[in-house]
Amino acid sequence: MIELQGVTRTFGAKRAVDQLDLHVGEGELFAFLGPNGAGKTTTIKMVCGLLNPTQGRVLVGGYPADSQEARQLVAYVPDQPYLYEKLTGREFLKFVAEMYGLERRHAMQRIDQLVDTFEMSEYVDELSENYSHGMKQRVVFASALVHDPKVLIIDEPLVGLDPRSGRIVKDLLVSQARAGIAVLMSTHLLGIAEELADTIGIIDHGRMLARGTLAEIRAQVEIHGPLEDLFLKLTGGDRPRALHSLLTEPVGKTVSIEPDQTD
Amino acid sequence: MSTNLQPRLASPTQATRAFHRLRWRLTRNQVRFLLAGSRLRLIMIMICSAIFWAGLFGLFFEGFQFLGSFVKLSNEIIEYLFGMFFLSLLIMLVFSTGIILYTGLFSSREAEFLLTVPTSTDRIFAFKFIEAMAFSSWGFLLLGSPMMVAYGITVNAPWPFYFAFLAFLFAFVLIPGGLGAVGAILVANYLPRRRKTVVALGVGLCILVGLVLGYRLSRTPGDAMTQEWFDTLLRRLEFSQHPLLPSRWMSTGLIRAAQGNWPDGLFYLGITAAHAAMAYLVAAVVARDLYRQGYSRVQGGRSSRRRYGWYALDGLFHHLFFFVARPIRLLILKDLRTFRRDPAQWSQFLIFFGLLAFYFVNIRRFGYDVNSAYWRNLLSFLNLAVTALILSTFTSRFIFPLLSLEGRNFWVLGLLPVRRAQILWGKFAFAAGISLVATEVLVILSDLMLGLEPAMVALHIGMVAILCLGLSGISVGLGARLPNLKEDDPSKIAAGFGGTLNLLVSLVFIFLIVAALALPCHLYFAGQDPTMSGVAAVTNERFTRWLVLAAIASLVIGALGTIIPLKIGIKAFQKMEF
Repeated sequence: MIELQGVTRTFGAKRAVDQLDLHVGEGELFAFLGPNGAGKTTTIKMVCGLLNPTQGRVLVGGYPADSQEARQLVAYVPDQPYLYEKLTGREFLKFVAEMYGLERRHAMQRIDQLVDTFEMSEYVDELSENYSHGMKQRVVFASALVHDPKVLIIDEPLVGLDPRSGRIVKDLLVSQARAGIAVLMSTHLLGIAEELADTIGIIDHGRMLARGTLAEIRAQVEIHGPLEDLFLKLTGGDRPRALHSLLTEPVGKTVSIEPDQTD
Repeated sequence: MSTNLQPRLASPTQATRAFHRLRWRLTRNQVRFLLAGSRLRLIMIMICSAIFWAGLFGLFFEGFQFLGSFVKLSNEIIEYLFGMFFLSLLIMLVFSTGIILYTGLFSSREAEFLLTVPTSTDRIFAFKFIEAMAFSSWGFLLLGSPMMVAYGITVNAPWPFYFAFLAFLFAFVLIPGGLGAVGAILVANYLPRRRKTVVALGVGLCILVGLVLGYRLSRTPGDAMTQEWFDTLLRRLEFSQHPLLPSRWMSTGLIRAAQGNWPDGLFYLGITAAHAAMAYLVAAVVARDLYRQGYSRVQGGRSSRRRYGWYALDGLFHHLFFFVARPIRLLILKDLRTFRRDPAQWSQFLIFFGLLAFYFVNIRRFGYDVNSAYWRNLLSFLNLAVTALILSTFTSRFIFPLLSLEGRNFWVLGLLPVRRAQILWGKFAFAAGISLVATEVLVILSDLMLGLEPAMVALHIGMVAILCLGLSGISVGLGARLPNLKEDDPSKIAAGFGGTLNLLVSLVFIFLIVAALALPCHLYFAGQDPTMSGVAAVTNERFTRWLVLAAIASLVIGALGTIIPLKIGIKAFQKMEF
């Protein structure tokens, strides 16, 4: 469903993504892991058609990622949810359903179902400017599923969600994958990748360092510990050096607070 | 290779309908919100707009009456005036629509969302284009409608003229809108990292052309208001009557419509409308082919990371202001860094104050320095008032939102060993410092060019100091009392209720300070001037007494205008929860 062939994306002199090949099939839940600035979000934006690759091809369902056909198949949940502040959550869901050309009665039923699934009935008819981050994220998740996408792309799925909402999202990702949808998610949370993903890809400096099931990656790296150890080994160093020195070296100077500067 | 699925695409009509419904829902909810929660703000905006409209109407009406006493109001002089007016608006609308569309299409989070929905890019463009046109051309309606109503009444235009004006306006604004849109999309595609340079160069070029033109017009030979003078003036404005300029179609069409010459009026309306449609069509085609690619390039262009570090300027600041408490110094330095790294702030500051400086430097070219003491005094106070007015727009636009923007990151400052009051004093010192340096230089320059006496220069220096401290106090104080912590766009914070109130209070403050001191000086110099026979002379002794009283009153108003808003702001800021 998702196919990246020799994809490179440069930002000026910087190569954010470098000769990346990737395949995510139907019903596969693929977790994209990597440190900050590794190229995860750039890759995701290319799959959504928001960024064009400098080299290579990005296909979704066999269509170029920036085509209207590809966008009809894809649902994207960014890490920072966007909602129109002067729309209610339900009005936003209606707008998305209308954009995807859903028949009105079917759209209403689907929206009610999603409001129920994401437990949004208490606030979905209020203006979204009053929502917390987690509330917004739930509406955006619902909007991503309103048109039954074939490809679900999620950037940091659990950012800002409380444990209950997190559980809902995790169950949802698995159920969507089992229903035949290709799910591509990027995350910093190694535990989620370990818990949910069928396939894990570890990326750094725009290059895929390892790809496969957890067992396959363990075999490649020859470390049989938890995913955190594999990740740190692959992305450079077992323990971040700066943190180590901060913990071991004493602070040289204490800061005094003048009495008249405190409340 | 993936197998091709056959997605069921939404029809173009469905997408268009979805956008229409979105617009309708957004407008309806916004109106409900305003009516339910911000009636005072709505009423204030309506009252201010009505006063502004009535003021402009009066100004234009008097202007047309005045012109009518010299020339026939349907002749070519009016056509030239309208031509210049609409040409200026055309240029301004190209820039304003272009800038608004660039932000909406390439920098907003809404654009990222819209580009992931399955609709064609020209439909997304159409949706954002309507929004940009509404934002950029409401001012045109506010400025153009009193002028046209005043003109219509003066020349006894038939009633359909007023509807024709609306049709002309609607068609006309689409032309610069389309041009601005094409410009924005081309800049995003071909100069994604140079957008600010392009805008700065464009604005600079327009200002330069305006200055050259203004200078040439001011040097029109002959006695003012004579036939020869008018003829030369019109020859210098001939470029505005080029038959291919939309401003010409607009001005000629409206004058013909006002005369009741409908065949000609409708002909020009037809030409304007046809070109408006063409401009939009070209913009939509450019958007269809280049918008998505431009978006990708703009996102890529953002990554040219410039490293900022410690500058000699920062060190110099620490040395120069060693006597200021270090926490306040650091807070001022933080704002100073933001100021110099934000081109929107310093470029606006530079353009307005640069234009004033250019005008002041050229005062002697206009021969103002050889005028009578009465005229030089009048001009010096007018120059001072204009400088203060421009400063008030600057403090309303950039100083008022400072606290609102800080509030979002307050936890950073809140954890530092700094009292909240110190944060406000830091902002005040920053605002007053920058304002004082810029405006004192300008007013001294103006006074020296006008050849004023040292005592008057000293008086003006004192007045400017009071104005700077007061305007800074008002903006910082009201900014803390009426913050908008939800908004992260400073221009929207400035345009909100708090920003509008801040501007109004600033205007009243300027009026009080300038009027208190300008009035005695004006009457004194008018009494001394032999050409002002109707004004009674004021004795030196009486003038001195009056001036001292006015100076004391100004100092009191200035102190109150500075301290009261700051006290209110500090009190509110200390109680504020984040």
